[in-house]
Amino acid sequence: MILVLAEHRRGELRDVTFEMLSLAERISKESPMEIASLLLGGERGFIDKLKDFCDRIIFVDSPELKNYSPEPYLEAIKKAIDATSPKLIMISHSSFGMDLAPFLSEKLSLPLITDCVDVSLKEGRLATLRQIYGGKIFSEIRLKPYERYLVTVRPGTFEPEIREKRSASVMEIPFQAGTYKRRFLEYIEEKIEDIDISSADIIVSIGRGIGKPENIPIVQEFADEIGAVLACSRPVADKGWLPKSRQVGISGKTVKPKIYLALGISGSFQHQVGMKNSKTIIAVNKDPKAPIFNIAHYGVVADMFQVIPVLKEKLKK
Amino acid sequence: MIPERELFWHAGPKTLFYLLSLVSVSIFFYGLTRHISVWKKGLKKEKIHLSCKSIGSVIKDGIFAGRILKGDISAGIMHLLIFWGFSFLFLGTIVLAFDHYIYHFLFGKKYLFFSFSLEVAGIMLILGLFLAFIRRYVQKIGRLENKREDFIVLLWLVLITFTGFFLEGLRLSYQNPEWKKFSFFGLLFSNIFSKDTAYMIYPFFWWIHVLLSLSFISAIPFTKLFHMIASPLSIYIKDQPYFIVPVEEREDVFTYRELIQIDACTRCGRCVEICPSSGVGEPFAPRDVISLIKEKIFFGKKTEYDPKLIWYCTTCGACLEVCPIYIPPFRIIRELRAREIEDGTRVPALMAQTLERLYKYNNPWVSSKKRTEWVKGLDIIDITKEKEEGLLCYFVGCTTSYETRAQEIARSFSKILNRCGVRFGILGRKEPCCGDIARRVGEDGLFEDHTISCIELFQEYGIKEVVTSSPHCLWTMKNEYPLLKDIDISFFHYSQILERLINEGVLNFKKGLNIKVTYHDPCYLGRHNRIFDSPRNVIKAIPGIKLIEMEHNKENSLCCGGGGGRMWQEELDVDVKMSERRIMEVYDTGAEIVITCCPLCLIMLEDARKTKGLEESLKVMDLNEFVLMALE
Amino acid sequence: MNIILCVKQVPDVTEADIRIKKDGKDIEKEDLEMVINEWDNYAVEEAVRIKEKYGGKITVITLGDEESEDVLRRALAMGADEAIRIDEEGFEGSDPRGIALGLYHVIKDLPFDLILTGAQSADMGWAQVGVLLAGMLNIPYATLAVQIEIKDKKVIVKRELESNTFENVELPIPSLITIQSGINEPRYVSVLGIRRVRKLKIEEKFLDDLEIPPDKVGEKGSIIESMKLMPPPEGKGAEIIEGSIEEVCERLAQIIKEKGGL
Ligand SMILES: Cc1cc2nc3c(=O)[nH]c(=O)nc-3n(C[C@H](O)[C@H](O)[C@H](O)COP(=O)(O)OP(=O)(O)OC[C@H]3O[C@@H](n4cnc5c(N)ncnc54)[C@H](O)[C@@H]3O)c2cc1C
Ligand code: SF4
Ligand code: SF4
Repeated sequence: MILVLAEHRRGELRDVTFEMLSLAERISKESPMEIASLLLGGERGFIDKLKDFCDRIIFVDSPELKNYSPEPYLEAIKKAIDATSPKLIMISHSSFGMDLAPFLSEKLSLPLITDCVDVSLKEGRLATLRQIYGGKIFSEIRLKPYERYLVTVRPGTFEPEIREKRSASVMEIPFQAGTYKRRFLEYIEEKIEDIDISSADIIVSIGRGIGKPENIPIVQEFADEIGAVLACSRPVADKGWLPKSRQVGISGKTVKPKIYLALGISGSFQHQVGMKNSKTIIAVNKDPKAPIFNIAHYGVVADMFQVIPVLKEKLKK
Repeated sequence: MIPERELFWHAGPKTLFYLLSLVSVSIFFYGLTRHISVWKKGLKKEKIHLSCKSIGSVIKDGIFAGRILKGDISAGIMHLLIFWGFSFLFLGTIVLAFDHYIYHFLFGKKYLFFSFSLEVAGIMLILGLFLAFIRRYVQKIGRLENKREDFIVLLWLVLITFTGFFLEGLRLSYQNPEWKKFSFFGLLFSNIFSKDTAYMIYPFFWWIHVLLSLSFISAIPFTKLFHMIASPLSIYIKDQPYFIVPVEEREDVFTYRELIQIDACTRCGRCVEICPSSGVGEPFAPRDVISLIKEKIFFGKKTEYDPKLIWYCTTCGACLEVCPIYIPPFRIIRELRAREIEDGTRVPALMAQTLERLYKYNNPWVSSKKRTEWVKGLDIIDITKEKEEGLLCYFVGCTTSYETRAQEIARSFSKILNRCGVRFGILGRKEPCCGDIARRVGEDGLFEDHTISCIELFQEYGIKEVVTSSPHCLWTMKNEYPLLKDIDISFFHYSQILERLINEGVLNFKKGLNIKVTYHDPCYLGRHNRIFDSPRNVIKAIPGIKLIEMEHNKENSLCCGGGGGRMWQEELDVDVKMSERRIMEVYDTGAEIVITCCPLCLIMLEDARKTKGLEESLKVMDLNEFVLMALE
Repeated sequence: MNIILCVKQVPDVTEADIRIKKDGKDIEKEDLEMVINEWDNYAVEEAVRIKEKYGGKITVITLGDEESEDVLRRALAMGADEAIRIDEEGFEGSDPRGIALGLYHVIKDLPFDLILTGAQSADMGWAQVGVLLAGMLNIPYATLAVQIEIKDKKVIVKRELESNTFENVELPIPSLITIQSGINEPRYVSVLGIRRVRKLKIEEKFLDDLEIPPDKVGEKGSIIESMKLMPPPEGKGAEIIEGSIEEVCERLAQIIKEKGGL
């Protein structure tokens, strides 16, 4: 069995859950296996949403599980594993999975591979694909034989769709909460004082390739000219060159504009997550090997500062 | 009656006067020792040498206001009047005391002459004070900052002078001596009161005068008046040898030299007037930084200043050129940077990033050690590989090696040398950073590292003659390396080599160029290294060239804004950049090409040309490029 | 507040071309400069700031070869008090658990209130070691901290979640926190600073001293059987527009007008 840990926050089931279920479907094609979703806390309504995607839903309900915290989650997951004995457990490589997975691995002695962009199970042996050195290198990993594996899957890597509709049975496991050392206090949403980039049709986005804040007006003028909004990758926001609310990516905004023009952005996965669903992606980067070209629809290998003025002229006409 | 004057006429009690004098002088000396004790903290192994030249400077620039007169005659005259007037009156008082206590000689004609001279001195002082008042409060000269202290000091002097003359007038009213016309100015104040009233109010005004004068003396060490003592010292020490204390041995960044200089600043504001950073409206003024530090060090004020302040200076050296008492604010600021670098928590992010790159990759530009990309397609000897002794070593420098526009300097210079058959070589991938950037921004540990690796490399390959692309490398090697290590190497700038080749007849221009050009003096080539003529001679050697000078040229040249680490501090820029101001001055000459001699100037001016939209009408060229163009 | 810091040295690949070794197991590191892992640098700064506020002692630990003493010295120059290097020998080919085990065996005997590590490393990017270590030590933890506040024996950690959302969690002391980039502005470390700590002794530990069964670390102890490095698949996605800047921009303008509905 493949056990997929559903991820939810603040009453919403997160997309990555379905992405993992779609990956699970693919794996089960090669080595036939049951697919189960593990729902810890959350709302009962989630069950309906998950039903078509898996064969079984294991639901552990308790107020202690509503907001994630590692200790109650560990106990609940242990129960689920005991009840289902899965071969492979999947968690997303998000702020949730990054926090939880290594803890499970240690406490339940599960072999763990984090941040996989591909996973396969052949003859009971796990193989995964990862990106290392900031996405500049890929690494293909084969694991030693184990009874059970734990992986975290990079969000945004798989389509959240399945080929065959399933119909899951629901199994509830009772849960008795104990006392825990770490306590969830509250969610904080950073105020958005700036314009909202997620509703823009055209986004011009800048990365570390902008070099220095003094260059921003050049791009800003260009964006204004074509009616686009200016966004950025994380280093630009980290340095405070643009407000944090302009950051695209996993810890920033997710955007789906008609056109995403990436200037001087290498295209790390954290960035890709936030923009890969844009209708048309155009990348300008000096480095022909920049990973951004892997997901862009159109690419230009050039210095952005040579391209911008000329392009601005052409678009004026 | 024999003309003479009775001291303490109708005044007293004398003992009270003596007591108060003692108090005043004690306060003065107490204040003085406080200053001296601070200076002494900065005096470690160095000795201050006796030097006739320095004494000459003090006489010329101190007593005769040489530098104050330069560029501002009215200021010079004002200072001369006040200085001489004040000095004579002060001397007069001493002479009177001598006459009274030690040897009576002031009578008869001698006394009349004495009295007359003091009248003249008094008038000089009054005129000087009047001029000062006009300059400050009527003309409102921009560079003068008007603090309360400035007003009080001026008023004080005015009051002392006038009470003095007023007293004289009262005395004359009462005594009405026949020689009174010799006290022609004091006479104006006589006859205001009747003889009896004058006699009655005289002691009262006498005490006012005495109290004003005595408190004036005791105030000297605590106000800007202290420049009377510190300024001549500052002029005196300007030619004393420099020292670089190895970072690990230094306790504080300031040496006696900076401490005296900080103490001596009169806040005259000439440095602010000339400073290119202040000039484009950046929130920085060299004088203000010095004032802040002075208040901290000498008056114990806990003023915190914006740590950003110390990163504006480009170390262009223009301020030193105009400071009447030879204070180099950029050196003082450099020491402040050294403190910040040591502390680390407030170093601007971009600067920190640049320094880290400099540390790891030996250049401030890219995280890569590929230093010789510019050589591609050229045939150049790598001294570290071919071990050919006695070659001229071309020290390319970081910016010229990495920055694509500046690489043209190295390419053109090498082509010219090859054409002239000069045997030369480069250090290739082994060439380190010369240490200029590290030194200028206060990263003195890194500067030591760079210096040592450069010197060791020169010695390893038996290099005796080095030519640099950058005037910055040249300055550092020529002036700062010897302070850390004894070396026997001659350093040149390429403009000097070009000039030499022209003089030797190896480099000659057959064809002429019919172009109007102007020349931008790089701060480090001109002001710092005093090389003004070599590049001009090279340009003039090309037939047909018309060289037009800019408004600011030679020692008055305007900085491009790239030195002192500012190249990597662009977040400090305001609306107008220094380079833009300079390029507009170029534009005003009507020249088609501006020629310069430094990779940083080249980049900055090239950038300014673009931002100012002068791409069509103006070209920025390095001297080598220009020479090569004339050759080809 | 006694703090233990775990840091690591990584090759600086931001502007470098990476080449893979012939055996496909590693990259060529000769031409690469070794630097402190970006996330760890933030962790060091955070530790020093906590120390400056609450006092205490910082012990910085790395597991690596002799060259990695550089990152320890850097941390000492920034304000750490003691440094320990666990020699890499015997740990080569370890998975994150092997590394965490090495750290665990040194840390378990040390007194501490907080352990700080980077959220992940710039080379392999496992993002596991910190949490594994907390698990082994049986102490609570929180990952991806962007703000740490200490209030009467409790630590409030602001964690960075997705989509501009954060959460506050409360930890008791002792606990472990992994640091996300951007939490602070790390101070500059001057050459003088590094020279000043040049003579400080760095304690060395070897696998033999640590009572770790040798088959728990290194390749033997690793869950990984084989690892093969490859360059990223090329040209899969983008249609690369070629030609002069003029031509390229002409084409781009056309695409933008068409797809953007301008
Ligand atoms: C938990 C976590 C969350 C994260 N969240 C995010 C996130 O939400 N969003 C995000 O963006 N990142 C995020 N990151 C950071 C991410 O890993 C990368 O470090 C970051 O995206 C890299 O940004 P970049 O592409 O701008 O910079 P780099 O990777 O430095 O790329 C700069 C690119 O510009 C090119 N370039 C340079 N100069 C020029 C020029 N003149 N013309 C053209 N091209 C040029 C270079 O070739 C290079 O490819 C996160 C990391 C972690 C660990
Ligand atoms: S050196 Fe130049 S920039 Fe620095 S204070 Fe003096 S005049 Fe201003
Ligand atoms: S440093 Fe020199 S020029 Fe500047 S204010 Fe002081 S005395 Fe005047």
